[in-house]
Amino acid sequence: MPKVLIIDDSSVMRKMIQRNIQQSGLIVDSFVEAGDGKEALDKIAADSSIDLILCDWNMPNMTGIEFVKALRGSGNQTPIVMCTTEGSDAKVEEATGSGANGYITKPFTPDQLKNKLGAFLQVK
Amino acid sequence: MDLKGIMDGITSDIKETTKTLFETMIMLDLNYDNASLVDETQIKTDVIGMVSFTGQYHGVVGIFCSKKFALKVASSMLMMELEDFNNDVKDAIGEVSNMIAGNVKTKMSEKYGEMHLSIPIVIAGEGLSISAVNNIPTVSDTALSCFSKDPWLMTYFISEKEKFGVGLLLKESK
Repeated sequence: MPKVLIIDDSSVMRKMIQRNIQQSGLIVDSFVEAGDGKEALDKIAADSSIDLILCDWNMPNMTGIEFVKALRGSGNQTPIVMCTTEGSDAKVEEATGSGANGYITKPFTPDQLKNKLGAFLQVK
Repeated sequence: MDLKGIMDGITSDIKETTKTLFETMIMLDLNYDNASLVDETQIKTDVIGMVSFTGQYHGVVGIFCSKKFALKVASSMLMMELEDFNNDVKDAIGEVSNMIAGNVKTKMSEKYGEMHLSIPIVIAGEGLSISAVNNIPTVSDTALSCFSKDPWLMTYFISEKEKFGVGLLLKESK
């Protein structure tokens, strides 16, 4: 069953993303949370069963784009969807060029989340 | 570039972004009230959430609201009734300011080149006022002298019978 890692420095946003995913009808078994890119790398090193990563951009310690580059640099190909307020074309291109597989801009509705994550998760 | 003209355009961006945010993730009613250039000595508030940006233009986007309204926003975002002004409330206001600033910045970037955002800062007290020295905001809970002649572009909204403002301080980078 799918396990999703949510990386965001806002604990409120991590909770909202989980609720939105549950409301959207996407099938997720469990969630793992990290407050920045560095903590996320530690969580991934300790847990090889993560199926999808949702990643904010602006975070302390290690930003989202630094995390994407670090994870891909290690050879890990777990799908990453950026989930951020950074919505400019330049940022989207930078993220996808660095190895991110998708992009969703905050704020979003459960339906928009479903559309973006439907390629990676099954729907009930 | 005419800074006043740019700020007028940004007002509509702030209105649109805030409306979308309240419709999609905060789920509270929202009505636009007015927008005006406000001397910083006129700003009195309990909670300030700020995100700064740098680039061809630099400045600050901030949300200014009462503690009561901050509690309503956080309660709605978390879908649970919060009674105390705790870290979840500060976190929620930080994320609200982050989403408004991020979307305004994206729209500005289309016209004025790529910009970079800071992470949010949230300050809470009672009757806070704000000053800026070279666009670096400082906050005081006492009456203070005005360190900068730069006005804030304040866009005011009413939600849940509470008035709150989204402010923008903007300067062209040298």
